[in-house]
Amino acid sequence: MSVPWISITLASLVVGTVATFLAGRSARWVALATSIVFLIEIGLMFWGYSWPGLLNGIPQFAYSETHAWISIGWLNINYTVGVDGISLVLILLTGILQIATVLYSWKEEKRPNAWFGLVLLTCLGCFGVFVALDILFFFLFWEAVLVPMFFIIGYWGGPNRRYAAIKFFVYTHVASVVMLVGLLALAFYSHAASLDFSSVYAAEPALAGVVPAFLFVALFFGFGVKFPIVPFHTWLPDAHVEAPTGGSVLLAGLLLKLGGYGLIRWGIEVIPNGFHTDQPILFVIAFVSIVWGSVLSLSQRDLKRMVAYSSINHMGIVLLAIALNSELGLVAALFLMFAHGIVSALLFMTAGSTHDIFRTRDIPSIGGAASVTPRLATAMMIGSLASLGLPALISFPAEFTALLATWQALAYWVLIPLIVLVVTAGFYIWMMQRLLFGPTKGIPNSVHDIASLEVVAMGILIAVTVLFGVLPNLLVHWIVMSPVGVWPL
Amino acid sequence: MSLVTTLLDFLPEILLLAGALLVFLVDALGLRRIEVVGSIAVVTILLALLFVFADLGFAPVAFLAAIPPGQIDVFPPAGSTPLYWFTSLGLFFQTFFLLAAFLVALASMSRPSRERGAAVFYGLILLATLGMMLVAVASDLIFLLIAIEVVSIPSYLLVAYTRRDTRSMEAAMKFFIVGALSTVLSFFGASFLYGAYGTTNLFVLASGSAIANGAAGGGGFPLLVVIGYSLLIAGLAFKITLVPFHAWAVDVYDGAPDDVSAFLAGGTKKIGLFAFFLVFLGPVLFAKVAFQWFGGIGPVSFGPVLQVLLSILAVVTMSVGNVLALMQKSMKRMLAYSSISQAGYMLIGVAIGTAPALTGASLQVFAHVFMKSGAFLVVAAAAGLGVGPLIADWRGLGQKRPWLSAAFALMLLSLAGMPLTVGFVSKFVLFSAAIEAQGYFVWLAVAGLLNSALSVFYYGRVLKVIYFDSPAAAPAVPAPEGASPAASGAAAGPDHTPTAPLALGGLGYARAATIAIVAIVIVVLGIYPGPLLQPLAAAAQHFIRLGL
Repeated sequence: MSVPWISITLASLVVGTVATFLAGRSARWVALATSIVFLIEIGLMFWGYSWPGLLNGIPQFAYSETHAWISIGWLNINYTVGVDGISLVLILLTGILQIATVLYSWKEEKRPNAWFGLVLLTCLGCFGVFVALDILFFFLFWEAVLVPMFFIIGYWGGPNRRYAAIKFFVYTHVASVVMLVGLLALAFYSHAASLDFSSVYAAEPALAGVVPAFLFVALFFGFGVKFPIVPFHTWLPDAHVEAPTGGSVLLAGLLLKLGGYGLIRWGIEVIPNGFHTDQPILFVIAFVSIVWGSVLSLSQRDLKRMVAYSSINHMGIVLLAIALNSELGLVAALFLMFAHGIVSALLFMTAGSTHDIFRTRDIPSIGGAASVTPRLATAMMIGSLASLGLPALISFPAEFTALLATWQALAYWVLIPLIVLVVTAGFYIWMMQRLLFGPTKGIPNSVHDIASLEVVAMGILIAVTVLFGVLPNLLVHWIVMSPVGVWPL
Repeated sequence: MSLVTTLLDFLPEILLLAGALLVFLVDALGLRRIEVVGSIAVVTILLALLFVFADLGFAPVAFLAAIPPGQIDVFPPAGSTPLYWFTSLGLFFQTFFLLAAFLVALASMSRPSRERGAAVFYGLILLATLGMMLVAVASDLIFLLIAIEVVSIPSYLLVAYTRRDTRSMEAAMKFFIVGALSTVLSFFGASFLYGAYGTTNLFVLASGSAIANGAAGGGGFPLLVVIGYSLLIAGLAFKITLVPFHAWAVDVYDGAPDDVSAFLAGGTKKIGLFAFFLVFLGPVLFAKVAFQWFGGIGPVSFGPVLQVLLSILAVVTMSVGNVLALMQKSMKRMLAYSSISQAGYMLIGVAIGTAPALTGASLQVFAHVFMKSGAFLVVAAAAGLGVGPLIADWRGLGQKRPWLSAAFALMLLSLAGMPLTVGFVSKFVLFSAAIEAQGYFVWLAVAGLLNSALSVFYYGRVLKVIYFDSPAAAPAVPAPEGASPAASGAAAGPDHTPTAPLALGGLGYARAATIAIVAIVIVVLGIYPGPLLQPLAAAAQHFIRLGL
């Protein structure tokens, strides 16, 4: 009988979130305490983790619990949770980004209890998505992320926040509906014994004909909009530009990862037959996302919009790595999701601080920022260099592995992401050259560098960037302790 | 069956009748205080509820059961054509109806003690509930339609019971005319079915053999059957406010006194759904016998055609209801349109016609009894506190009345299908059932889910007004036609003279308790639905097996 760490963590997050909402002026302290407790619990989960392996060909989970909720014959729903290496690294990402966001937005004065409560609720939802092993609870947590983010954008956002919030809600909610119908159809068409992951996993081979391919498309659409994949990506730049900085950090750092996680956990693992049929579609969309995200990124003047489009590019590489269907590809995809979570969070923080200091995010109208705000410039440089894949920073091992896996599977197609990487490097360096260096311009009279708490928040992310950049195996070690380590199943 | 056992079978109904007569008697004796007649009504309803629970076999009260357990959910003896028949799903619906009546009766006790017409109000509520109970046990088309009339006539009177408010009178007049039309259509349809089959017994009508006798054996009857069922659909669709038979509902719910709206939307409307179960599930399930359409087109299977028709009605109803709710400025009209869209969700259960779908629809009825009655009762409470009829009038209520606002928010979130509420569980079960049925029913689930998303916007807008708009900052919104503040004051009751302020900040103990009960039920069954869902699922299975 192992300790039910997941339920304990969920309970602590729920208590912390509710307490934050009720705490009034001292909400930030409650939020910080919740984040620290969350990190300790994550540490304990890592400490005691070992992957139970496969049982009768079905992947097992650590710290798993099952309690019946509804059982009426045709509909059996259990509260089932568990983790493996795939979810553990993303839970770690959740913990890091939660505390970084709380620290970064420490001075939030507009309804601080609601702000910190919604930040914690978003992270609670993400944690739930990563541990839920039942279709209903997965969907519940998936939607639980959507609602606080809608309010974060719609209440604390920029001038066009209403439009952005509603667009975000409509896009992702329609996708969620398609995803839910796909997941339920998966369970009912295969006559699974319950809505549990393991039951659905075991029942999936019963699906015949084109059904798995259709179901995979439904799931891919649901997860893909969160990714975001190219035809459905237009909500992302609007949401990012209008969202407050903390919202952008969670949006890029965590919410985009839900799509990737869902695709691996409920798409590829559960419906391999559908995945094999639909693999070409994934490749095409991945390549288009990589190229189109990069091109759009290159043409942006707004710093936040540029980072947002580069997210599309990076998540395209994640999709490519997932679609390769190899162990190396999945390791690369998960590592890259983690890396992108940290790096994009850092970049959005610097973009937010840029706006706070210079009252604009328009890249051409600022120049020589490094001379007046050295701390901000340092953080932005590290973030940009990490994003373009400089060795010894976190994205390098991830992107290198992804390209290696692409080469192994697709040979010369690897040239597409490789060339695009050069373009990515180009727009980051060009941005830095214009904004940070060169002749000073657009500097307001009273300039202050970023505050110490913002430095702490960015410092945490920079430390993680360097740590896993130098010692990638610290992370890979956990990723392979999962079905990824024995891929293909 | 001797007379005594027959009477024992109807013990809850007899109790309701006795209660209604007692209320009128007490009124005639001059004891007009609302506390007196209200208490009689509430105790009567609770006693009836106790006996229905006993009949359902709930362990603590099972010894009170009047109907032998062996007589529920069994087939009638061969050759017999019973007028009424006990099914556990019917008994469950009886409890739903009684709960709706209980909520309204309890909350109304907080109205001014000397209000005129209290006895009329309570007596009519009890009589209408009696009719609703009869609907739930009908097994004959004529019995069913007469039972519906037993509900309808008190309902017309209830809308107009205050007698002085012109808006209520207008609403009652509309309600009466539309109701009469609906009755005529239903009975006309029943006469066609009698012409085709020579019987109005629902067991016979439902069984495949009847269709076979009529269609295949007799040869010339299918047109009669189609016309009969079409007229019945139209007649009963008025009752459950399916689009395009919905227009009356908004005016009536808007014009009726708030507590009566709660009873109509939360209670009497649901009889139409159970009537749909009784009349259409049989043909949907068993009438797969193909018949030659007039003019040689065919063979056409009647059941699938009916399913497609009902599916379209369901989708149109939920979509139109939601879109129109989105555009409303008046709180009661918004709730009325939301009630129409909820009817669309429930109809999904009939259109699919499987036990899971029936379970989902029944649970949706249960949830709706609490959510919608509760919401209208809160509106009544707010009107008593001086809140106007427009949604904009509710601005800043979250700060002034935190508990009332929280309860209302909970009801709206449940209506929107947010997790941890009973509304979520019922929708999840219903949409799961649609997917479980496979085929094109999956699209019903997609339509329902997208509609749920749409509904989030208008419920969310109300929450925004209550919690985020400050009372001073919001601009004055011009009132739409017929909803001026003066009219709302009148809607709250002509004799509503604020004499002594009621307890609990103007709410009154009874209404506050009712609202608290609703909120607790919404949360408890949202978190732990098993105790209700399991017997309900079994009841739905029995109902399908009987093929009623």
